[in-house]
Amino acid sequence: MARDLSFLFPELLLASTVVLMLVAEMLRAPRLALAFGLIGLGLSTALTLPLLEADTSVFGGTYRVDLLSGWAKLILLPGTALALLMTRAEIAGKDREGSVYVLLCLVTLGALMLAGGGDMMLLVLGVVLTGLGSFAMVAWPRDDAATEAAMKYLVFGAVTGSVMIYGLTFWFGGAGSTLFSELGALQDKPLIALAGLVAVLIGLGYKAALVPFQFWAPDAYDGAPVSVAAFLSVITKVAAIFAFAQVLRDLPVATGWPVVVALIAAVTMTFGYLAALVQSNVVRLLAYSSVAQAGYFMLGIVALGTSPLALPSVIVFGAAYVAMNLGAFAVIMVAGRDLDDFKGFGRARPVIGVAMVVFLLSLTGIPPLFGFVGKVLLFGAAIEAGYLWLAVIGILNSVLALAVYLRIVVPMYQAREGEAVRAEVALPLLVVLGATALVTALMGLFAGVFPG
Amino acid sequence: MTMLALTLLAPLLAGLAALALRRAPEAIALASVGLGFLAAMAVLAGAIAGDAVELVLPGLPQMPLRLVVTPLTAVISTMVATVAACVVVYAVGYMRSDPERPRFFGILLLFVAAMQALVLAGDWITVLAAWELIGFSSYLLIGFWHGRDGVPGAATRAFLYTRSADLGLYLGIFVLIGWAGSSEISATLAITGTPALVAGVLLLIGAMGKSAQVPLQDWLQRAMAGPTPVSALLHSATLVAAGAILLIRVAPMLSGGALLAIGLVGGITAVVAGLIALAERDLKRLLAASTSSQYGLMLLAIGAGVPVAALLHLIAHAAIKSTLFLGAGVFQHDRDSTDMEAVAGAGRSRPLILTGFGLAALALAGIPPLAGFFSKDAILAAALAAPGAAWLAPLALAGTVLTGAYMARALRVLWWGEAQPVSGRGMGWMSAGMAVLTALAAGLGFAFVPLEHLLGAELPPEGTAMILGLVAALSGLVLGWFVTPARLMGPVLPWAQRGFAVAGGMDGLVLRPTLAIAAACERFERHLLAAQLGLVRVLGLGTASRTEAADNRLYAATLDLGRLNLRLGDSAETTDTKGIDGLIFGLVDRTIAAGRRLRLLQSGLIHRELALTVMGIAVIAAVLLILPISS
Repeated sequence: MARDLSFLFPELLLASTVVLMLVAEMLRAPRLALAFGLIGLGLSTALTLPLLEADTSVFGGTYRVDLLSGWAKLILLPGTALALLMTRAEIAGKDREGSVYVLLCLVTLGALMLAGGGDMMLLVLGVVLTGLGSFAMVAWPRDDAATEAAMKYLVFGAVTGSVMIYGLTFWFGGAGSTLFSELGALQDKPLIALAGLVAVLIGLGYKAALVPFQFWAPDAYDGAPVSVAAFLSVITKVAAIFAFAQVLRDLPVATGWPVVVALIAAVTMTFGYLAALVQSNVVRLLAYSSVAQAGYFMLGIVALGTSPLALPSVIVFGAAYVAMNLGAFAVIMVAGRDLDDFKGFGRARPVIGVAMVVFLLSLTGIPPLFGFVGKVLLFGAAIEAGYLWLAVIGILNSVLALAVYLRIVVPMYQAREGEAVRAEVALPLLVVLGATALVTALMGLFAGVFPG
Repeated sequence: MTMLALTLLAPLLAGLAALALRRAPEAIALASVGLGFLAAMAVLAGAIAGDAVELVLPGLPQMPLRLVVTPLTAVISTMVATVAACVVVYAVGYMRSDPERPRFFGILLLFVAAMQALVLAGDWITVLAAWELIGFSSYLLIGFWHGRDGVPGAATRAFLYTRSADLGLYLGIFVLIGWAGSSEISATLAITGTPALVAGVLLLIGAMGKSAQVPLQDWLQRAMAGPTPVSALLHSATLVAAGAILLIRVAPMLSGGALLAIGLVGGITAVVAGLIALAERDLKRLLAASTSSQYGLMLLAIGAGVPVAALLHLIAHAAIKSTLFLGAGVFQHDRDSTDMEAVAGAGRSRPLILTGFGLAALALAGIPPLAGFFSKDAILAAALAAPGAAWLAPLALAGTVLTGAYMARALRVLWWGEAQPVSGRGMGWMSAGMAVLTALAAGLGFAFVPLEHLLGAELPPEGTAMILGLVAALSGLVLGWFVTPARLMGPVLPWAQRGFAVAGGMDGLVLRPTLAIAAACERFERHLLAAQLGLVRVLGLGTASRTEAADNRLYAATLDLGRLNLRLGDSAETTDTKGIDGLIFGLVDRTIAAGRRLRLLQSGLIHRELALTVMGIAVIAAVLLILPISS
């Protein structure tokens, strides 16, 4: 017991942080809640470092302390801290400010459950924990758009979640255990394996916004505050992808899951970029772009068990994606939600403009930025796993990606009629922009620090 | 080490500075290419002294990024730095009245940095990264005047052609890394047998795209819509050289089948592109076709197993062709066009420029003692001594004759015609840049013997080759000067003028069928959607028919609103943005229509979307059910 708990220090610390933040919010001290949150996230990141080499599981194999869950903490905890700062910049001084901070940290706890879960129950717990907090955050502005978006998000979540739980009962019945590590028993029970697989694809596919479960994403991102949209588009998505990895690496390949995942990946990438091509609202554009990016993630998932590159590629692209997507959303907070707001933005604000170009080119996969490195690894993993056609589709889609992101870059350097208003940018936002821009621009050259 | 980093960092940082500061781009550019040139010379001096320098960055997990200095990489790097310096000097004059100079010099410098990274790369990931970057920056440079007619299309075409060939590079590199277990270039060159053959052919495809080899040669001629300094740097000495450089570097790995494939692709391109050049009616496009043809000769030399001959010709050609382009740019300034009728006689009013142009033309044809003479001899000798000499030697000879013929034709056009008064604005910079390159084009041949020593390579004996080459060059020149293309080429002429478009060319063979298939898919998708919605209605929503009707009206109204918005957006667009949109959307052409249609799927009505999700689930389950049966 004591041994098990010692492996859970980061999670336990985060849970206690959430409690402290709740107390602070009860006292109507949002700044205190923010401080608790930042310190708690920082400390649990630090506590993760000594556990990075561990490869074990605790509490009877239900929670895994391994490469994936370790890196999930290293990526998601700082990512959440950045999202906290963005939220502060957006809603400082507003009513119920502190509740968003609490929910952000609570959802992140759920995300860690997803990324480290080794058991079906924990998977469900993670889906529910991330879901409930997210609905509340989307509905936070309490206007029509937000309420509608949250409602849609909730209905989708309820449907997909219940289908997932239902399907998982088949796995439990077939394998005689809720542990993922026992899934090998499904080798000769194809129909039961299929039922559970479809269920997992729906439940996690909804979280990761894969096609055809992506419908909620653009509305939810557009209805929520921009910082919450940024958080949802990175933290819950990356957690869902990591959860995919935890589940599918134990499922026998003979059940045919790689082919289905590959098909979903191909459709998701293409659909996401095609739909992004015609958006005039930048938040919605980035929503579709993050659908497409989820498709790229699945290139690494397809290769699980057949290529040693699979896990590193998912981890590296996960880190890259968190940095560049958070950064892009942070720029939206400065410039505005509409594509027209970006006209002349690069000239009015040269430094932030360059940062935006870096984020967008990295999302496209232009070297030597961080996103390029992640994508190359993903392509490598897919090719090594024998999914050449999928890698080809991925590479071809990057042409579409260029068209999508240039739609933001090009107007940024056009002349704008009238004098641009140069509003003050809040300090927390500058910190976020600086950190994400540095990581996106430089980590591509130093991605060797990641596991190989 | 510092010098090695400086060859790359000087243009990189200066490019970023030019883009960010948006002032004094000329000064920044001149300083940085000067610095880059000195650094490259220092690196070359180190390589001559035998220093092995390596710069390692952590890069990817277990695949560090490397820059290495070997005699080969140092020589090519120096060539890139030299041509870049001369072209930037020239561009200061050429671009002097363009308001977008910061963007021009910024991207040009970023291109130079990426090219240096490609040349000096010691591992495949760096090659891939640099390859992508030069492709991207060349797209931006070709599309620099995006407001002009035909420019967005040209940039898009260049990007798509090279991009599709890049697939070969990606796959080839992954084969190499997968087989050798290392991303270091030197380590992967040890592989043999089938993997080496597969990787060789895949890399050849990538090289064919960048070096504009048949049948992917068309983009290069259209890329002439870009500014002339871009043509001089990218489309003669650097970007197009990437393919040949790639093959020269992997030459130790190549054998048998791969070599023959490379040699034949090169030989056929040398002849076909040579014929296109001869039939061309525009000076810059003639030079572009000639570039394809000359890179064909280089590939032929690699295929003949003598990569050093290809390297010598690469260096000679870089100086020669840049000179020719810079000269063409001066005539373009004088006459506002490079159409052959427009530039007729343009050389008479600028005798000095014509002399430089002429010297370079004779050098390219292979007249001693100019640089091209030595390198072309080496290629002919290699072709004669190769195992596939029966194929390669005639192709190489034909390529040489054609070179002489089209260069003579270009000179004749510039000479015969009316002289017109010309202005001297910006001529100082333009002549200075061109003068240095002309000197190199003329005298570089004498550096070839020490160069061979440095690279530790020996050329095959040249006796017969020298005589054959000289005869071929002279007969080509004479034919080109005295006989019109119509008489020379007869019935082949109109065909060559269309770029030997077989069955409608690339457009007819690939583009149109693809679009047709896409359209068919769209139609199918629409039927499917209708069927799906009908099915959902029958299954579940029949009871809610009244709500359905109301919500159909809402749906239609939403759609109309959307259409109205689109129309408003369309009419509000200025011509300025139209050019840019053309540039961007040209990338994906009709897919934009597919995107609009997909948006209809996303109607915002939750029951419809849930129904679609259920459909998706059904499809997934069906695929999973069918899989075990089929496998």
